Amino acid sequence: MPYFRITLMRSAIGLPSKTHGVLAALGLKKRMATVYHPVSSSVAGQIMRIKELVDVKEVEHAMTKDEMRAARRPDPGYYVEKRDAKVRREREGVEGLAV
Amino acid sequence: MFGPFRLTNPLSGGLLWKIPWRLSRHQKYRHRERLRRVDGIVATLDTALARQGESMKRVERWKLEMPTEGEMLPKDKYTVFDRKVKRYRKGIHKLPKWTRVSQRLNPPGF
Repeated sequence: MPYFRITLMRSAIGLPSKTHGVLAALGLKKRMATVYHPVSSSVAGQIMRIKELVDVKEVEHAMTKDEMRAARRPDPGYYVEKRDAKVRREREGVEGLAV
Repeated sequence: MFGPFRLTNPLSGGLLWKIPWRLSRHQKYRHRERLRRVDGIVATLDTALARQGESMKRVERWKLEMPTEGEMLPKDKYTVFDRKVKRYRKGIHKLPKWTRVSQRLNPPGF
């Protein structure tokens, strides 16, 4: 099921209260907030109202808040051997193949 | 001499907050980028709805009536009709909230 990924890029400060209402209805509370809504004409109509303020992409799956956070987190550059035995085996396997 | 409390005309009191009469080329460039961004969003909505087998009156109407950034004349891109101004045109940066509103069409003949 496709979703619209909507990110608020520009604030609605100083714009009509209806614009604020649309943002509230979509669940956009502050700048750079991202929400996912299923592709439908009612959501598209809401986006048309605030198209100057947001960034919209069509994506296949919605991400939860935790998933978005995990996607932003950089690679720590290490792994704990005891905890991540699987990762280690994979890496060794890859290196073994390379050699 | 420098810093936030320097003695310039706008800062030494009174109502002197001048907006230049025309846009700089960098303002124009950013304005074109914003126009193109809105065009992209409308295209995204259109393709996403078409894939679902839906269509929307508001999107259809926008596509029919509104010129895209490439189709707009420079005159309409950077200036806007105003009946109070000599020769009926003023810079689009005089429009309140001009970076966050869509102003693409002007009265025919002006």
